[in-house]
Amino acid sequence: MGPETILSVEDLGVTIDGARILHDVSFTLGQGEALAVVGPNGAGKTVLFRALLGLLPHSGIVQWREGLKIGYVPQRFSVDPSAPISAKEFFLLQSASFWRPTAAFIEHLDCELTLMGLDRSVLSKSLGELSGGETQRLLMAWAMLQHPGVLLLDEPTAAVDLGFEETVYAVLHRVQEERGTALLLISHDLNVVYRYAQRVLCLNKTVVCQGPPVETLNQPALTTLYGEAGLYQHPHQH
Amino acid sequence: MHSPFHAAFWIALLVGIASGSVGPFILLRRMALVGDALSHVALPGIALALFYGIDPFYGVVIFLIGAAFLIFWLEGRSRIPPDAIVGLMFTASLAIGILMLPRNDVIESLFGAFPVLSIPYLLAILASALVLSALCFVLARQFLFLIVSPDLARVHGVDRKFDLTLLVVFALIVALGIKLVGTLLMGALTIIPASIAKNVSRSMRLYVIASAALGGAISVGGVWLAGMFRFLPGPAIVLLGVALFVISLPLARRKTA
Repeated sequence: MGPETILSVEDLGVTIDGARILHDVSFTLGQGEALAVVGPNGAGKTVLFRALLGLLPHSGIVQWREGLKIGYVPQRFSVDPSAPISAKEFFLLQSASFWRPTAAFIEHLDCELTLMGLDRSVLSKSLGELSGGETQRLLMAWAMLQHPGVLLLDEPTAAVDLGFEETVYAVLHRVQEERGTALLLISHDLNVVYRYAQRVLCLNKTVVCQGPPVETLNQPALTTLYGEAGLYQHPHQH
Repeated sequence: MHSPFHAAFWIALLVGIASGSVGPFILLRRMALVGDALSHVALPGIALALFYGIDPFYGVVIFLIGAAFLIFWLEGRSRIPPDAIVGLMFTASLAIGILMLPRNDVIESLFGAFPVLSIPYLLAILASALVLSALCFVLARQFLFLIVSPDLARVHGVDRKFDLTLLVVFALIVALGIKLVGTLLMGALTIIPASIAKNVSRSMRLYVIASAALGGAISVGGVWLAGMFRFLPGPAIVLLGVALFVISLPLARRKTA
């Protein structure tokens, strides 16, 4: 019935320095599906992403579909501002020919930049010169460059202004529709979850609830997840 | 066939280029100080090799590659601050090496000399320097990927073994230059051209090329000055490099303006 499963997670657990950060996390992600991960600060959302990507040792099973390309937009990305690394070279890290990029690669790069509302003049800037918003858009264009089958986005609009937040989600929605890209998205904004996610995974060290957002994110579930203070008073840290 | 000056000239040119090629990656990994101190580890290697009557070069290579593996191992352990341990161990190596070395060899080992080498030996050093320079260019993408974001690099299949490769390439380049520049100063030869080139470059590709060219030019210039004024080549090369670095500082300010 549902779309083909591209990610299957069973009983995932992560322990760091003796502290149990995640336990008994199980869920699946279907092709072209948008799954939002919500939860309070310290719930283990970023740790979950890092475990899924193989960046952290974990227990349990993480099974990606064979040959699936993964795009990742991390929450934090900082480069030594004095490092002479141009934005173009940042993209060339994904090219087989770092020293002599092909015309096709540059042309394709232009398309992805346009999609994210970036001018190609940004390519000649050094990474350290970019504003927070530019860096975030660049990271998203970078993650989408190879048309991955799934995008993992760790608070993708944390550094962009409110006006652009809408554009970001519209672009993500378009990519999901047109390319069949699955989205795994960490967000603090429930409006975004309601509008763009087909399913939600409520996480607080373990899975508190999961399912379609409208049915799943009811008041008892939100109280369990965030406590009596509720989601809207939840501190937003960037 | 060749004089020590000619040998020094060719070693300076090619090992200088190799030093300049690897330097940007070491500098951007924020390992300038560790890299600088790495060359000190060669000293006990020289002392032990002399003690057992074998070519000091082998002692240098073994000790430096050992140090590269040690740094790599320490970096993989987040609980141990690598810089403090590396600093202590490398300085201790220097002290042990000085105590073990025969007196006559101390100055030459620390500050380098115009080397007296057989033609095959010289050619082997030059060929190795060329290969190591080429490796820095061929693997630039992987080295840079791990510097920019180790996480994104790993997601794209570039794992930590390229970090180890970088450290071993760096250790071997230091080993090649030690006879000419000395254990105390050779580490600096990898850092100085990269520091100057960083002040004038706006892209990574230009940065590596400029640093390699400066490495060759500074080393050859230093050897020429040492020959002219009867200095030791190591200090002449390093001081010429530092003078150029000072001159390049206003360019750095202009670049960021």
